[in-house]
Amino acid sequence: MDRYGTTPEHLAAVAVNGRNYASLNPHAQMREPISIADVLNSRMIADPLHLLDCSLVSDGGAAVVLTSAERAKDFPQRPVYLLGFGEGHGHEHISQARSLTTSAAVESGRRAFRMAGMGPGDIDVAQIYDCFTPVVLIELEDLGFCNKGEAGAFVASGETALDGSLPMNTNGGLLSYCHPGNPGSMFGLTEAVAQLRGEAGERQVKSAETALVHGQGGIMSSHATLILGQEQAL
Amino acid sequence: MTGHSQKFLPQPQPGTETYWNACRQHELLIQRCSECGTHQFYPRIFCTSCSSKAVDWVSASGHGKVLTWTVVRRAVSAAYAADVPYIIALIELQEGPVMMSKVSSCEPESVCSGMAVEVSFEDWSEQVSMPVFIPTSSKD
Repeated sequence: MDRYGTTPEHLAAVAVNGRNYASLNPHAQMREPISIADVLNSRMIADPLHLLDCSLVSDGGAAVVLTSAERAKDFPQRPVYLLGFGEGHGHEHISQARSLTTSAAVESGRRAFRMAGMGPGDIDVAQIYDCFTPVVLIELEDLGFCNKGEAGAFVASGETALDGSLPMNTNGGLLSYCHPGNPGSMFGLTEAVAQLRGEAGERQVKSAETALVHGQGGIMSSHATLILGQEQAL
Repeated sequence: MTGHSQKFLPQPQPGTETYWNACRQHELLIQRCSECGTHQFYPRIFCTSCSSKAVDWVSASGHGKVLTWTVVRRAVSAAYAADVPYIIALIELQEGPVMMSKVSSCEPESVCSGMAVEVSFEDWSEQVSMPVFIPTSSKD
């Protein structure tokens, strides 16, 4: 915020984005629409995080069936293909981070895009780990969707909404769908699969052929990126 | 201060016993590599700069500056309820390493990045004293 001029309103826009999608998702834990003002007026937990900048406390679990592309052809469900993955690991304790505004999502994203033979502009829908609102902005930038310092304005201007250039966290994310702890990112994965199969109901991104899922663990320590696609993206 | 017994108290281990014993004496220790001279904190069994195992404990100046901070307003448990709001900061020590600690004797509205701080100690039990940082007084 000090370096790039990111504002509390930019952070709040991430929470509002998630809630807008959650309101379209019958399975989401928090579905009542919220405004930027609602986020800013919610009680402060630890500056600059208001209550609504923080993810939920939930019970839940998810599973995927992983098999070879060849076997998947015989399955009744339309398969979704793993096109690329990458990991990046920066530090153990946040006091040892090389930077507080650039994370190892740079490495995980670069590796995943290289394997998939794609770039950020090729992604139709993204599920970006959103434990707290600022994390999303750092990840969007580190994955190459925005330049450094510009993700706040990117989200606030509606680019991550259903009709934007990069629909993001379309199930509502950890902020509004659910956050059961370790399985959190599994819902990013199952949502990406639902989007690529065209099964996402009211929150369906039109003609989504590629998806990116980004997970993060520790305190911005460990990052993993997946790129998924429909058959035509192979 | 009272009521520390229900807080998260450190459990000294073979690699950290020396550190906590020094805290008990109100002295802040960090590690220094005797091969390449790099200081580091928190303690490891090797140098994070050159991988040498020749890391020794040395006394830190105890002076540093606030890099960034947050004000904790929601207590993590009932044991911390009397403490909120309090400042948690990343502090760059004069010797180079960055450590996370509490900034006390400072109003939450007064803390800023670059603020000069020095170590102080809070006695939480007979065995445990916690290093915290306070604004460096103007006479320094």
